[in-house]
Formats: sequence, C-alpha cells, structure tokens
Amino acid sequence: MAEQIIFKREEDLPYQPVSLASMTWNKTGSWRYLRPRFENKIPPCNEGCPAGQDIEGAMVLMGKGKVLEAWELLKEENPFPGVCGRVCFHPCESSCNRKDFDEAVSINALERFLADAASKQGRRLRREREKRKGKIAIVGSGPAGLTCAYHLARMGYGVMIFEALPVLGGMLRVGIPDYRLPKKVLEEEIDQILDLGVKAEINVRLGQDFLLSDLAEYQAVFLAMGNHRSKSMGIPGEEAPGIMSGVEFLRNVNLGKEVVLGKRVAVIGGGNTAFDAARCALRLGAKPFILYRRTREEMPAFPGEIAEAEEEAIEISYLVSPVRLIAENGRISQLECVKNRLGPADEDGRRRPVEIKGSNFFLEVDRVISAIGEEADLSALPKKVGIKENAVLTDERGATKQKGVFAGGDITHQPRTVVHAIGSGKRAAIFIDCFLKGIQWQGLFEAIRIGERGSLSMKRYLQGENERAEMSSKTVHFKDLNLDYFDYKKRKKMPKAQPSKRLGSFAEVNLGFSEEVAVEETGRCFNCGVCNLCDNCYIFCPDVAILKQGEEQANIVDYDHCKGCGICVQECPRDAMAMEEEQK
Amino acid sequence: MKKIMVGNHAVSWGVMLARAQVISAYPITPQTTIVEELSVLCADGRLKAIFIPVESEHSAMACCIGAAAAGVRTFTATSSQGLALMHEMLHWASGARLPIVMANVNRSLGSPWNIWGEQTDSLSQRDTGWLQLYCESNQEVLDTVIQAFKIAEEVRLPVMLVLDAFFLSHTAEPVEIPEQSLVDDFLPPYRPEFRLDPAEAHSFGCLTPPEYFMEFRYKIQQSMIQSQGVTQRTDEEFGRAFGRKYGLIEPYKCEGADLVLVTSGTIASTARVVVDALREKRRKVGMVKVRLFRPFPKEELWAVLRDAKKVAVVDRNVSFGVGGIFAHEIRAAFCNEKERPPIYSYIAGLGGRDVTPQVLNDAVYQTYKRPQPEEQSIWVGMRSS
Repeated sequence: MAEQIIFKREEDLPYQPVSLASMTWNKTGSWRYLRPRFENKIPPCNEGCPAGQDIEGAMVLMGKGKVLEAWELLKEENPFPGVCGRVCFHPCESSCNRKDFDEAVSINALERFLADAASKQGRRLRREREKRKGKIAIVGSGPAGLTCAYHLARMGYGVMIFEALPVLGGMLRVGIPDYRLPKKVLEEEIDQILDLGVKAEINVRLGQDFLLSDLAEYQAVFLAMGNHRSKSMGIPGEEAPGIMSGVEFLRNVNLGKEVVLGKRVAVIGGGNTAFDAARCALRLGAKPFILYRRTREEMPAFPGEIAEAEEEAIEISYLVSPVRLIAENGRISQLECVKNRLGPADEDGRRRPVEIKGSNFFLEVDRVISAIGEEADLSALPKKVGIKENAVLTDERGATKQKGVFAGGDITHQPRTVVHAIGSGKRAAIFIDCFLKGIQWQGLFEAIRIGERGSLSMKRYLQGENERAEMSSKTVHFKDLNLDYFDYKKRKKMPKAQPSKRLGSFAEVNLGFSEEVAVEETGRCFNCGVCNLCDNCYIFCPDVAILKQGEEQANIVDYDHCKGCGICVQECPRDAMAMEEEQK
Repeated sequence: MKKIMVGNHAVSWGVMLARAQVISAYPITPQTTIVEELSVLCADGRLKAIFIPVESEHSAMACCIGAAAAGVRTFTATSSQGLALMHEMLHWASGARLPIVMANVNRSLGSPWNIWGEQTDSLSQRDTGWLQLYCESNQEVLDTVIQAFKIAEEVRLPVMLVLDAFFLSHTAEPVEIPEQSLVDDFLPPYRPEFRLDPAEAHSFGCLTPPEYFMEFRYKIQQSMIQSQGVTQRTDEEFGRAFGRKYGLIEPYKCEGADLVLVTSGTIASTARVVVDALREKRRKVGMVKVRLFRPFPKEELWAVLRDAKKVAVVDRNVSFGVGGIFAHEIRAAFCNEKERPPIYSYIAGLGGRDVTPQVLNDAVYQTYKRPQPEEQSIWVGMRSS
C-alpha cells in the first residue's frame, strides 16, 4: 500500500488537484453507512408454481442451450414437465412480472419444449440415492400419487402403488383426452417413475379389493384417489338411458371403449370436464353443444380450453339450466331447460344464476353428458382418518388424523388442478421422509419454502441443513424491477393444428415450439431476483467498487472502497441486490 | 482566404483550425448552428474529433471535463439556460484546472421566455474561475477561439468566449480564414502534465480536506491574475502571425476625450458610429470596448479612463439590486484611486432590444446633463421614453 504524502508548503502542491502517487492507503469504504450486497431473491414464477419448479433457473440454462440440464432441473421438483407443459393452467405465467410489462413469458410452452427435447434424446433419470429401509403404500396413481412415489423412490424408499383402474395415471390418463395430452407423453413420464423401482398393482380398489387396515405392513400410506365421481344434476329423468357423466364418458373414450353418441349431444357444465367431453364428442362425429347456467365470465374452465372449443365451432349457450329429461321409447329425446339471469354473488364471488320463471324451452337431444362437477368417493375410508365436507382433512404437511397416513390431490381441501396435486404429492414425500426418520418437521418450512404461496423445494430439502445456501424470503414484484433495461418483445405463440383438421382426430392440437423459438422466448425472461451477470452494477459503480471475478463467476463488492451510494442496487434491473444499514 | 460566414460558423471554423479533439454539446438557440457545423466538420473528416452528443448541457460539460482530464483539447458551446445548467460543472472545470474552451452565445434567461441577446447569462458565471472574452465581430470570434485554446492551455484554466445572439451568431460577415499551417505553428498540440492514464495512475479531484483546499484555490487566483499578461502576450503573438489583434480593451478616439463611453460586444460597433458623429460635432467623446472581462483589466482601463471627466458605461445586462455589471466592476476597480472620474451607469438592450445610435446618444446626453451620477443605473431605450 502506498504511503500518504504530506505537503508542507503551498509551492509543494501540484497546480492541479491530482494525487502524486497511489491513493490506495485511503480506504474510502470506511465512510459507508449503507451496505449493498448481492442477494438472490425469489422469482415470482417459482413462487407461483405449486409444484415448486425452479423455472427461472431452467430459463437461464435453456438460454445457454443447456436443454437437458434445464429439464433435469425441472425434474428435481416435478416428474411431469411433459404433462404440465401441456395441461397445466400455468399460474407461473399469471405470476410472471413480464405480464405487467408486455406479456408473460411463455413458460408453459417452454416447459413442454424441454420435456419433448429430453424425450427425443431418450433421456432418462438416474437413480442417485442408496436404497433405504421403509416401504410406503400409495393409493391412487394420479399426479399426486405418482409424484409422491417418484420423490420417495428417489430418496431410496420402496413404494407400492394401488390403482383401482386398469391403467396408471388417474385423471391424467382417463380424464384428459389425447388431443390435449397424448398417451405417449404421459406413459413416458410414468415409465420414468416406474424405472426408479416403484411397483404398482392395477385393478385394485380401496374398499372393494382391500382396506386401509390391510396396509399395516407399510410404514406410511399416501391417499390420493382423486375425484372420479360425477355430481348428480338432481333433476327428474336423470336415470334414463342415454345420460352419462362427463367423467364416465371421458374415461370410456380414454380407455378406448366404444361409445355410442348419436348426433345431438348436450353437455351440461362449464368446467374443463364439460369442455373435454364436448370436444371429444365432436371428434367422435357428434354435434355437441354446451349448456352453462352462468355466463362466460363465471366459467371455471381454463380460458385456453374455451377458446379452442370456440375455434372448433362448438356452440355454447349461457344462462341455461336443464330442469327435466324426457325419454321416448326408453331413449332420451328432449331436454327441458330454463333461462337464467345473474343474481347477486355467492360465497365464491361468482354471480349466482336465478331462474327466469316461465322461460322454459325444449331441446332435441340424442345424448346428455352431465359435467357439473366431480367429487371424491371416500366411503371406503375409516372415520379416524378425518373427513370433512367430503374431503380428507390434512395438516400443513399433508398428514391426516391417522398416524402415518398422508393424503393429497383432489380428495383434500386444495384447488383441484394437476399442478396442485403434484405439489401435494411432493409435500407428502418430504414429510413422509421426516416421519420415517423421526425428524422434527416444525421449522422446516422456513428452510425449504419458495415464497409465501405454499410451494416447497425438494432440492433444498435434499440438500440438508448444512449444504443449504441462505435464501431470501423476498419475492420480486413488478415494482422492484428497473424497467429501463428491458425492451418490449412479443410473446411467442405456440402453433396449433387448423380447427378444420381437428375434427375426427384425437391428434394433439398444440404443436410445440421449435428450439429456435424456444431459446428466443427464454430471452424474454427478466430473471427476476437472480443475478445473471448483466454487469450493470459493475458498469455504474462510480467508485469501481464492484469487482469482476472470472468468467461466469459472481461479481463481488469491494467493501474497502464501496461508499454505499446504492447506485448498483438502483441500477440492478432484476432486484438481485439489497441494501442494508452498516453495522458499526 | 476570405469566407462569408455567420458568427456561429466562425466559432466552428475556429475550433476546426484549433484541432479540438473532443467536442460535446447540447443544442440551444441561438448556439445550435455552432454545433451543427461542428458535427458536419467532424462527420466529413475535416475535423478529426470525437463528437459526443449528450442529453443536457450539464453532461456536455461533464464530458468535456472527462476528456480534458484525459489530456485532449476540448470544446463546447452553449447559451443562456444551457449555461446556467452547466453552472456547477463550470466550477469543477476550473477547479480541476482543465483548459476547456467554450463559446457562449449571449442570450437572456427566462422567465419570460426570450431567445435574444443579453449578457446576463455569461456574467452570472463570472465567479466560476473561467476567463471571459467578449467579441465584437465574426472575425474576432474566429480569432478568439484560436487564442482561447492557447491561453487556456498555458494558464491551465478554462476560457469562455462570448458573442451576441443574432447580431453575431446569425449575421454573416466576411471572415479571413487563417492558414492551417500558421495556426498549427501558433497553437502546438496540448501536452498536459497530468492526464488520466491507467499506466500512470493518479487520483483526480479527490476529497481534499481543509488542510489543503485553500492552497488549491490560491493557485487558481494566482493563475487568473497571471492570465491577464498571458492573454495580452497571446494576442500580440497572434497579431504578429496573422496581422490582427484585439487587446484586452480597445480604446477608440479617447485622446483628449472628456466623456468616454464604455461598452462591450456588438454595442461597441454602434458606439463607434455615435462617437464619430459626436466628434464631427466637436464633442470630445471617446469609447472603450472591454474585451477581457475575467480577469478584469483594471490597469488597462485606468490608463484610458483616468483623464476623462466622465465615464458612461452601457451595460446589456443587469445584476438586480445593483444595476449594470460592467459599471459596477469599473467602480469597484477604481475605488482606491484618489482622483477618479464619476462612473455613469446605463442599462440598454436587454432581451435583444436594439441599442440604436439614438439610445447611445441619449446616454451621452444624460451624462453631459447630470452633474453627477445617479445612485441607480439609468435604463435607456425604454418604451416610455
């Protein structure tokens, strides 16, 4: 370090205010009252994904062309990127900060691209952990059950799945039609789970072929039977032949059973099941139409599904309720309906339909498919498991009232979506592991949760206490970004099959991104809260107090010379820095 | 070679001949065509300089400061509000001892909006440590640009040359363009003692505690005093090389004058005509044009004005609460002299109002009429009079 020069007389000083030697003796960082630091925070997409995927991390890898690594990163948390990339309602995208800038990043389509790319390259997962003692029984092989099985198997446990149907996959297999989720995609991801050593028995139904008490040899049980029973419409004539539930219809179609439809098929309901049923009926040569008791505003089906049905010219009548089914010669022939108007909002905030007296009218129908909602059949469960409002009660771990019995998916009180089911399966796997190891689970949430919306990180869980890096609990919101550094760019749209080509075919409607488009779309990611070495801090620091390390190495703050002005933090486009008071 | 050109282009051509290396400026009426012409000269390669467009005058001066610290010849131009916006950077430029040259086209400051000539903008910057030279013709403008670089680089202080809005900036006159080789002989390349250079690191303008700060200020004052002689010598050298010189002040028919008009800029040209007419009427009237305002050429003015019976200063500027600024400076400069002429102060031509011979005649007439100056400056050429 250079020595300080002392000037004794005016003549000794240079004419210009310039140091005559190095000033490194002067550690100007000592003037600092505020201290900037690099702090990665939680991207809102990651927080918004109930399956807890590191979406932002996958975007970064993909942007670098590391497609398989990106896929593996998703697979750390979710065994079903190929499924979710097709059928998820992508709350990640509604959480995406970019939606407030121009349009959300096309995360869902990118997830699908990753899964398809891995599939094309025949990529399989490695089983990494040693085998462990402990066997777990899983009842139901839907997304919740299979996800739980996947994670437990990866931890080294023996897993046995009991499935009532002749196929694995639950609603993914028998509820979602091929044109949305090709069987091959689902089967491939299920096979990857079975490859981990998961065993499964089909055609065994709880309550019919075995009881919960028969599973005593297992150290833990995960219940995930799903909602496979259609709610009844509760109108006269419902028992007539020619009437079928949406769930039943879709199950038959998906299992390849012959279904006789006739021409005019009335589908009752406004949820995804109703739309899937109508679109299947269309593909089977019928002329389906949807009757919904409220307006499009209140429809629970995903907007994409509604739009695709409209593209396929499926007629949708709003504010109509069926009141009676009329059979003729033992066959359904007419549906008596009534018109509604919207009344005041009910508990869930949607406006309630109110019947308009005397507005009754009749529709000629050959078939009626009722899809007004599904519910669980919990008749086989003992009371001590804990059931309320026809759903299994669980605590924050997913544990039921009965020791060692966990539950997840649609039979529990949670949103009835694929990705929530996957999230609940993962959560159960984590806490079954804790249960089997006798680990204190209280306090674990703080360490492994991703933000405030219930998503958990399996990666962080498996890292264990000592390996786990410090993680910020702050989620980056739109207001936290410095938008000066982002350019407007249109969201890439996935190509779709022409509506005219969809008739009579169960071929997939959405066709996926090319690699070129996918990589371009990842470039739209803001990388909220995560340093991507854009070097704005380095460029803007007036004191040259941001130091660059090697290639791909994180920048560091030179606290000997940082004066705490905060420009680096201000100019960070993505809120990957934080400012705190200096502890003197 | 003679060329017909407006005053603004005379600035640009002076800068080209001086071989400025970095130019950074932001356009403002009436300065804009200086910068336009410079960008053309840079673009077509006649001037090998880096032209840095910026988003404000403050940034323009900041760029010049950085470039000058890096050791290159640096130029900018502005006017009025733009100069005011540069204010803090002007202090920095002189404090850092950087020989930046700037052309300021005199224009009034709003409010209310006014784009026309008035000296209050540059005179508001008189305490910033910049030399100030006020020009009367387009030829003087071009020549002063070249002189300014030489003076600045010798005394290590920035120099502002000043020209009147429109009367010079947008008025075409024949201008003799000096030979480049002669200019090169007159103005050698800039070679600073210190410059930003990673190979030889120095800290520039870093925090200087009270133990040292005053010494740096003292050095500026010494250099400013010294710069008067340098300006004088440079002007004489210029005269020998190019056949034109301007002095620090320029007396006109002051021999035996009992009343001397003092003014600056283009008003001096009108004043010459008025003096000629009055001399024909056997009035003993003379005129002094003040060219160098900072440092203030007290000795030169005293030598010319000491024998006058009355001095009438016509200011195209105002310091509110005091009055005409040149008059005020002259009064202050002479205050320690025992026998001194009374200084009459007139304010004229604000916001671009024409200062006609009648206006100057009025000032002369009032000076003759009043036995002694009024406390306050007298405003001439007002609508009521």
